[in-house]
Amino acid sequence: MGTSRFPPSIWGGDRKRSAEPLSQLLLRLMSLRGRGLWFRRPERIPDAWAGSGSPTSPSPRAVELLFAAMQRHLGSYPLSPGVRVKLVSAGFQTAEELLELKPSELSREVGISKEEALETLQIIKRECPVDLSRFASVSISGKKYTALELLEQEHTQGFIITFCSALDNIMGGGIPLTKTTEICGAPGVGKTQLCMQLAVDVQIPECFGGVAGEAIFLDTEGSFMVDRVADLATACVQHLHLIAGSHLEEEHQKALENFSLESILSHIYYFRCHNYTELLAQVHLLPDFLLEHSKVQLIIVDGIAFPFRHDFDDLSLRTRLLNGLAQQLISMANNHKLAVIWTNQMTTKIDKNQSMLVPALGPGFSGCSCSLSIITPGRTFREPPKTITRWKRRRIIFKDFAFVYMCWVRFTLEIFSSVIKGNHQVIINHLLKHLYRIYLSKNMVVNIKIHKYIYIIH
Amino acid sequence: MDWDQLELNPKVIAAIKKALHIYQHKEEFPAQHKKLGFGCPVFNRLLQGGLPLVGITELVGQSSAGKTQIGLQLSLCVQYPYEYGGLESGAIYICTEDVFPDKRLQQLIALQHQLRTDVPQDVIKKIKFGNSIFIEHAADIDALFECVTKRAPILLSRGMVRLIIIDSIAALFRCEFGIQHSITKAKYLQTLGAKLHQLSSGFQSPVLCINQVTDTVDERGLAGTNLDVLARVSPALGITWSNQLLMRLMVSRLARELSRDTHAAATGTVVRTLSVIFAPHLPQSCCHYTVSAEGVKGAE
Repeated sequence: MGTSRFPPSIWGGDRKRSAEPLSQLLLRLMSLRGRGLWFRRPERIPDAWAGSGSPTSPSPRAVELLFAAMQRHLGSYPLSPGVRVKLVSAGFQTAEELLELKPSELSREVGISKEEALETLQIIKRECPVDLSRFASVSISGKKYTALELLEQEHTQGFIITFCSALDNIMGGGIPLTKTTEICGAPGVGKTQLCMQLAVDVQIPECFGGVAGEAIFLDTEGSFMVDRVADLATACVQHLHLIAGSHLEEEHQKALENFSLESILSHIYYFRCHNYTELLAQVHLLPDFLLEHSKVQLIIVDGIAFPFRHDFDDLSLRTRLLNGLAQQLISMANNHKLAVIWTNQMTTKIDKNQSMLVPALGPGFSGCSCSLSIITPGRTFREPPKTITRWKRRRIIFKDFAFVYMCWVRFTLEIFSSVIKGNHQVIINHLLKHLYRIYLSKNMVVNIKIHKYIYIIH
Repeated sequence: MDWDQLELNPKVIAAIKKALHIYQHKEEFPAQHKKLGFGCPVFNRLLQGGLPLVGITELVGQSSAGKTQIGLQLSLCVQYPYEYGGLESGAIYICTEDVFPDKRLQQLIALQHQLRTDVPQDVIKKIKFGNSIFIEHAADIDALFECVTKRAPILLSRGMVRLIIIDSIAALFRCEFGIQHSITKAKYLQTLGAKLHQLSSGFQSPVLCINQVTDTVDERGLAGTNLDVLARVSPALGITWSNQLLMRLMVSRLARELSRDTHAAATGTVVRTLSVIFAPHLPQSCCHYTVSAEGVKGAE
């Protein structure tokens, strides 16, 4: 392909067609299904595409027509053959790819004169039933919400509780629904255990505080052991029986009648993916599955990094596939009001002669979710440090190793030095004492980094 | 739409299973329920059956801790019938550093009846142990890759082997790659891990990789745990390799309760420890064992 710089298109990255036809096909499928909006904010999925018409967004019929129009192949437009050949050889195939560009950009990219580019764009715009530019701005925002409405929605959304109070408190109530959560950690630290536990906990009846849903488990590494899940389920049932025993209301006992080992196991849908193609295909077909099984409240992808980390010479293709996958999962979480969890591996990053563990698959992938990072057991500190030297980077890790539920959560607290004049040290010392108290009471691990001017508490 | 082109569609949708189905129909899902037994009840109890059939298990430890002994024992155990914990098939043993200990294997074969007291004598006599162990020497990474990608699948597809043992996977990677080649090393490790994983899940055969340890210099060790050997050594090959594993077992020669075990102290045998470092279905636990003439035996 040409060496000119292409503007980012709907396919992301550059226009080099990869040698893998199946992945390209999957990319197209994902784009059509989930409107892959790589370069727009991932959280905003236009409601128009989901089919619910509202006053601010066009009706489904208009959407369908537009869909068809945008996907029309360039060959069907009345363009001159020379221009058409140049467009195809530059990699444009459908109308929508053209419409994102200005005439000058198009002429530069394809190698045609500016007048020809202008004429081409006019022909294409004429053929479309709706004015795309106007529609594009509406479709991006979709259904409009005010910030207050969003806040209220966030407060009322459910959480998947884990019955480990430390974990639930850290996560603000549990694993949040309608959001994606990433669990990353060193090997052997308990990611799969946590996933298996959550697959059981999502089924806890509502009177006990759960969401009474079902779970889908997509396994890429083969680490799902059904006997272990059976142990967890039995333990959960016993725990709930204990709780119900102390309550005198009828509803607790009644809810427990249906809550047994068999029923728990029958509501976990398990799929084993042997390579990335199967994983992508399965995630792609999940929306159909979700329509039939509307009680599913949790999707777990165990080992999302595993099939993507080898055999990928073309990193841009991998990035595109991963972005598409993340988009699909996010859109499913939003539309079906369920929680999506995926587990990620850690990899070593060497930065200024210091090596540290970071989540695999790149920072862009991790940015798609609210993360829960589990680290390996660190060092023990018997007492908090008395003073913090200002302007120095320090990393203080409180450690307490519990078999499964040990985690640190990323939340940032930025105190700009200009806002609070002086007394930085006092504030930090107070914070440290407070956190140390939390650590003692709740067995939490807290990672604090202190930078110049910005105090970030991880 | 191009749904017809996606031929995976019906297969993929039909393949979702309920966990209950997997739990109840044990015959249909051998990968979940069957395990490769060790031939010793103490080990089998520690590992809740033995090695899982799908996935890479790593056995890591210092030198002369008994890793090769365990590997040899497994290559004999796999040949027993299903009801005695075996898989009725042979094993591939890939050596990368030392010559294969043939004499020791013959000694083990001769003394199998003493080790496996749960199996009737005529069953043991019928199995021709030596015929089903395929030995490969791989001196460098290319030879190892060729063996894993070309020769192992042939044997696995014919059903002649159902266990792959790689003795000392660290040996090849440590000497050929220096610090500056860490990216290439990581790529090779990932490809190897993926290939082994593919073989393991395709043929439902366990893969055992024997690894070495490196010393860690860390003044604040993990004191007070029963895994205090971990404080001083850590498995070689780093996190790239650890990500490929399903299960990690560590063997060590130092047993903390040596003084309590008066029988072993009296006879002068060294008591070793096998601990589970991580596994998806096992808690962290350990057991002691000794290496004797007939093989590896757990100590109560």
